[in-house]
Amino acid sequence: MRLCRGFHEAFSGSTRSGHLGRSHKTSQSRSVRPLLQVFELPGRTREESGAVPAMVGANEERELERLEKQVEEGGGGVVEYLALLRKLKQRRSTVVATHGLQLLNKPSARSKLGSDLWTVYEQVAIACMDVHALDAAKKCINALDTKFPDSMRVGRLEGMWYEAKGSWHKAEKVYSNLLTENPSDTVLHKRRIAMAKAQGNMTAAVEGLNKYLETFMADYDAWRELADIYTSLLMYKQAAFCFEELILAHPTNALYHLGYAELLYTIGGIDNLRTARKYYSAAIELSGGQNMRALYGVCLCGAAMNQPKSRGRTEEKESQELISLAASVIMKEYKEKAPSKVGLVSSILDKQKQLAAA
Amino acid sequence: MANDLVLDTQIRDWVLAPLSLVMVLIGVLRHFVSKMMRTTPNPDLKAVKEGQVVLRARFLKAGANYIPARSFQMRKLYYNNEENGLLHVPKGQGANPMQAQMLSDPTMAMDMMKKNLSMIIPQTLTFAWVNFFFSGFVAAKIPFPLTQRFRSMLQNGIDLSSVDVSYVSSRSWYFLNLFGLRGLFSLILGEENAIDDTQRMMQTQMAMQMGGFGSDPAKALGAEKDGLDLVQHDWALPKSEQRAESVLRHLLQT
Repeated sequence: MRLCRGFHEAFSGSTRSGHLGRSHKTSQSRSVRPLLQVFELPGRTREESGAVPAMVGANEERELERLEKQVEEGGGGVVEYLALLRKLKQRRSTVVATHGLQLLNKPSARSKLGSDLWTVYEQVAIACMDVHALDAAKKCINALDTKFPDSMRVGRLEGMWYEAKGSWHKAEKVYSNLLTENPSDTVLHKRRIAMAKAQGNMTAAVEGLNKYLETFMADYDAWRELADIYTSLLMYKQAAFCFEELILAHPTNALYHLGYAELLYTIGGIDNLRTARKYYSAAIELSGGQNMRALYGVCLCGAAMNQPKSRGRTEEKESQELISLAASVIMKEYKEKAPSKVGLVSSILDKQKQLAAA
Repeated sequence: MANDLVLDTQIRDWVLAPLSLVMVLIGVLRHFVSKMMRTTPNPDLKAVKEGQVVLRARFLKAGANYIPARSFQMRKLYYNNEENGLLHVPKGQGANPMQAQMLSDPTMAMDMMKKNLSMIIPQTLTFAWVNFFFSGFVAAKIPFPLTQRFRSMLQNGIDLSSVDVSYVSSRSWYFLNLFGLRGLFSLILGEENAIDDTQRMMQTQMAMQMGGFGSDPAKALGAEKDGLDLVQHDWALPKSEQRAESVLRHLLQT
């Protein structure tokens, strides 16, 4: 599932170094991704930085790509690039770590940053943790710590550093200390949940998320995360509940409709299949027929609904037209984008059509 | 005749200019002092939860038609049931949350006192200082005539009815500076400076009118509950298949 990544990365971003190279690559290949920023700037309200995922406009995306290229080629503009990343809440750790560190090592560049210096330190520290450059990250954190000795945000960074190192107990201690001081800090709660997840302790993660959602029940990124974890634990009904919440909050997001439909399809049973088909249709409608998964889903639902097990109870006449339309749109897309696979796809679709019509 | 009154340039150099300068400096100082004393408000979990419940209920109300009927009924019950629903407020609770909060939370009173102190102390001191050193000066003349009614505003501290109203006494100059420098402060200190007392007072008054600090959580919950009770569930999805068909047909034609 494509959508869940954003939260994921924000959640498990700095826990382990291994998978982070990948996360960087995926971030490049995706044009739009919601990303819950784990770090809030001090002046910002929660609404701005937390609850609503940041969407990247096409223009800003282009600007970002341009700046990234320029930075990679050593053409300067690092400061602007870092600022744009912060603004768009993107996290391109490899680039940020290399060039940000170079920037911070130059005293002249440092003094030019002015009051942005500390935000850059934070950004680079997180990026360093992402690429497992723990020593460099520690240096950044120390610099921040001397400047802001009692800061919540710096404390958080320290916790993340222990996390990145894998010293779960120390990280846990840091987080719970900070939480007693400020129990309404959502980021801290999320880090603890992410920690449980990183250790593979899914039940603890679920417990933590449920407890978190009891209080912060309008945090829809957390609902998304919970849906993911439930799905991975094969608890589809619970996951479906989470998706219902997501649909309620964002009724026009095709991906949530799609996710809900997929869960219903997986649960099975004629009623669920029928509902699943409706949600697949909604996803098609909302995505303008561009979403392949939704198209395939409609076909699959048609095939599954007509299987002998469930056929006895099909009272209403299921419209075959939607299925054939979806199939022809799929074929059309394949002919345009991947002609070599047309044969394979058409045979699959034919088989499904036979099943549906049988 | 009023025109005969000639103001000494010494008055300009030793009264008018220093007074304005001191007012500006004090304003800047106050800004930084109050910035230093400010503590970030720490919202308590219960208030956060109530806000979030309201938000979620609002989403349910708005998006009710996008989830199956069963899911909607389930949620409605969860929010609205009379025993332990999320939106249900037990009677007698939350009668005056503001006062209760004030009593239970000394930091709130502390905060208010800090704000007030940073506002009142410098004002009293500067007023005393102005009164002591500069009382009785005619400090400036405004270049246009004014009616008698402005006398109390511009000639505070001078009890002479024969002086033309366009002359400004030093104490009045102090007041003019006190209230008139806000624009300058927002220019040099940024928009959110501590000087904007009047604005803040307006805000707190507004909040008071709306009930307690910000809003009365019990009332907001009750309103959401009533709203949710009124929602008729009408599942929007059955028609989606036809719409999807038309979308796909359109796609195939182009």
